[in-house]
Amino acid sequence: MAGRQGKGAKQTTFQTDIEGFHDNLPRRNRAARTWLLVLQVSTIIGVIALAALLLNIFDGAFGYVAAQNSIDPGTLVIGVQEEQMLNAPNTFSSENDNELAEGVASSPYAIGFFGYAYYQDRVDELRTLAVDGVEPTADTVDSAEYGLARPLFLYSTADIIQDKPQVAAFLNFYLDRVSQEIEDVGYFPLSDSALNTSMVTWLLATGVATDEGQEVKWPVINPQGVTGDIVSAGSSTVYPLSARMAEQFEQAGYSGDIEIESIGSTAGFRRFCVEGDIDIANASRPIKRSEVEICDQIDREPVAFRVGTDALAVVVSQENSFLTRVSSEQLRQIFTTAVTWSDVDPAWPDEPIQRFIPGADSGTLDFFVEAVFDQELADMPKEALVAILQANVSEGLFRRFESENPFTERTQEEVYDLVLERVVEPQIVQTWPLFESIFRRSDVLAEAAAKYPDAEVEFVSWIDPEFVASPQSADPERAGVRTAILGSLWIILITVLFAFPLGVGAAIYLEEYAVENAINRLIQTNINNLAGVPSIIYGMLGLAVFVRGLEALTSGKLFGLVDATTANGRTILSAGLTLGLLILPLIIINAQEAIKAVPNSLRQAGMGLGATKWQTIWHHVVPNAMPGILTGTILAISRAIGETAPLVVVGASTFITVNPTGPFSKFTALPIQIYQWTSRPQDEFRNIAAAAIIVLLIMLLTLNATAVLLRNRFSKRRFS
Amino acid sequence: MTLQNNQSHIPDIPTSNGRYAIEACDLSVYYGDFRAVKKVNLGIEPRKITAIIGPSGCGKSTMLRAFNRMNELVPTAHADGEVLFQGLNIYAEDIDAVQVRRHVGMVFQKPNPFPKSIYENVAWGARINGYKNNMDELVEKSLRQAALWDEVKDKLDQSGYSLSGGQQQRLCIARTIAVKPQIILMDEPASALDPVATLKIEDLMRELAENYTIIVVTHNMQQAARVSDYTAFFMMDEDRAGYLVEYGPTNDIFTNPQDQRTEDYITGRFG
Repeated sequence: MAGRQGKGAKQTTFQTDIEGFHDNLPRRNRAARTWLLVLQVSTIIGVIALAALLLNIFDGAFGYVAAQNSIDPGTLVIGVQEEQMLNAPNTFSSENDNELAEGVASSPYAIGFFGYAYYQDRVDELRTLAVDGVEPTADTVDSAEYGLARPLFLYSTADIIQDKPQVAAFLNFYLDRVSQEIEDVGYFPLSDSALNTSMVTWLLATGVATDEGQEVKWPVINPQGVTGDIVSAGSSTVYPLSARMAEQFEQAGYSGDIEIESIGSTAGFRRFCVEGDIDIANASRPIKRSEVEICDQIDREPVAFRVGTDALAVVVSQENSFLTRVSSEQLRQIFTTAVTWSDVDPAWPDEPIQRFIPGADSGTLDFFVEAVFDQELADMPKEALVAILQANVSEGLFRRFESENPFTERTQEEVYDLVLERVVEPQIVQTWPLFESIFRRSDVLAEAAAKYPDAEVEFVSWIDPEFVASPQSADPERAGVRTAILGSLWIILITVLFAFPLGVGAAIYLEEYAVENAINRLIQTNINNLAGVPSIIYGMLGLAVFVRGLEALTSGKLFGLVDATTANGRTILSAGLTLGLLILPLIIINAQEAIKAVPNSLRQAGMGLGATKWQTIWHHVVPNAMPGILTGTILAISRAIGETAPLVVVGASTFITVNPTGPFSKFTALPIQIYQWTSRPQDEFRNIAAAAIIVLLIMLLTLNATAVLLRNRFSKRRFS
Repeated sequence: MTLQNNQSHIPDIPTSNGRYAIEACDLSVYYGDFRAVKKVNLGIEPRKITAIIGPSGCGKSTMLRAFNRMNELVPTAHADGEVLFQGLNIYAEDIDAVQVRRHVGMVFQKPNPFPKSIYENVAWGARINGYKNNMDELVEKSLRQAALWDEVKDKLDQSGYSLSGGQQQRLCIARTIAVKPQIILMDEPASALDPVATLKIEDLMRELAENYTIIVVTHNMQQAARVSDYTAFFMMDEDRAGYLVEYGPTNDIFTNPQDQRTEDYITGRFG
């Protein structure tokens, strides 16, 4: 037919008798394509929904955290060492540096340390020592070669200096006069070059100079010419110097109000960079890189003006004939454990050391300890760590640690871990979810640095071996899922032991033996309906039947196990039986389907050989239905593992720190734990809930994989 | 072989059943209210092959299954009348269907080996029936009798499903022989097989007929003519109940039928 149409017209349709066939065909094809699209779209939506669920879980289980120590470990170390120094024999301590200076001067066997200024008052009576081979001079102090020195800074920004002439004037006045006043306050003046650097910085910041190499005359600004207030805050070390300069600035005619707060360098930087409400930050250390980054957030670019150096002088009397230089190591001994000078160096006289040190309230002692001892908490001897622990935890807790494992038995590392956990106690102050941590990493880090400058920011996985191995705890950082995992496993064991044989047995009876009648139809209908009953109903049933009705059995009293902790039948056994009831209909229905799928020819073959019905069922029907039965059981167990509501009703405990030991233990389960954690207000609980969900998923996959392997072995043995 | 004590015991060796290996007397079979086979009287000659032929739905298979009570697997089925085997009515109340089936084995239309090894396929029936002697010997003997030994002797531990359709059917025959029945029922044993495999099965049936009484249902009249010694021709009446029209030596039925309906059927006028 097609051939007859000739070559000219291109034919694409066949002739047909059915009217409208060709009009119909595109519509039918369109419908087919549309349905295909619908199917594809629903598959994609399903996949996306599942992926979103998984991503959401992972989002919570990993990410940055900012952990802040309750106590700075450095402070603990300093505290211990100060204690040691103050308690050393022949030690005189005073807040009055003049007393110390006098004391040292009074004996050739005396030694002491204090601000360099006080030494300078008594140069004829006292002599400074070279520490680690370096004498304290203006040069060595300025270059930081001398270990017991720290630089003093003022920080501001070019914008502030240009916007507020009073700030520019104050800094101008400060740099102009500081070297004349600083020794009075007790610090070291800057070297000319260092002072020059600060002045150049001022010139560049004000815009008077535009280039470092430029020769510019130092302008002196008249304080009378400026108005407006100046706010500054920061280091307590810098404070007396700044206060003195401010006083003189006012005396010179400044009419505004100048405010100086002594709050510490770190707090000063925070005011300067976060709140941004101060013009000048006083600091006894250089600004940290992280602090510069935070400043950047409020568009402040700090510029540093070094104004001087704080140094401690380690001094002996001019009458001392044997000591000119000491090492840090010797200083440590001299001020702590050594009793006589010869204890430190046999060449020195066998005379007791007389020590004169500043009191514990003074920052000077802190600074000395920090600079000379320079010890990490982790390196402290065990005894010191035990002392720290004893001083910082409650007596009861300390006794508990002692009774759990005496400190004499513990290693230094164990005690250190305990100190870290209980005293330093890093507290997580904020957490960030995974995707924010990855895609907005710099924002997260900047935010953390801004809000918690002392905190350590690190990327953590909330799920780790410790999380799996730890018991429940009220502290999210210490809480784990060990008890919950064991609880879940015990419950599932009971559930399977109860529901599997019962369910398969019922299925065999219903499929192979039960005759078709009204009663059996009713039973079948009820089983199908029970599979759809809300799980909480099973929980109430379990409460009534297993917890209350069969308390003697489920609490273990029947077996002579009367244990006060088994909480009236609210045990693993009750929970397992309840979940067993819950999945029983599922197992029955699935097993019935599997048994139905066994071909009748197998039954006939068996019976035809003279086997009894039971032999046929046992040898052929059940083994061939087993893969299907196991598939159904796997699904049912997966459901049981994830059930929460019935367990809550049956009486799961939410807080258990001891492992369940058997069917008569109190219990908790993973979903209970997750549920309980998600309802807590603190963020970290949501993170560990996410981690616990992953644990639950892994447990589920492991159990399923085991069952699938088992099933595959079954079917392989039979059919290949 | 021990059977349950309180039940009549059917001895392994036939003692008396008249001249027949098995005999249906006034046998009717019902599925619920529906009568599938009506008042059949049929005596099966021992160590011969008896073919049951007839048009579709005339109750051939039901009749065959009535000889070892396999119909009872259908919950609503029941039988009236008697089937005498070794002088006992197998439908008598104190006769256990299990021992009937052990003596009257069956081979089905579609090969249905167990999803087990070839060896296990043969051994299982004997084992569950309490066979305690040398199983290897029994398996080999059964497979040899089923003309399958040479083909499978090297792969006895492979699955029964690994065999071809014809081999599977011979495996099913071997499995049936292994429990040492006296009668083997075959329900269209070659209908699912190709012509070569069919021929092999037919040859095997001839060989087995030396030791066993065989009753075979077949659709294929040539097969009945080729293989059987006796032929029973069934038809159904207006109530769709099957009844025996004519029974006699195969030669007579095919060359000199006494009944017009038989002649019409074998000459292909209907069916």
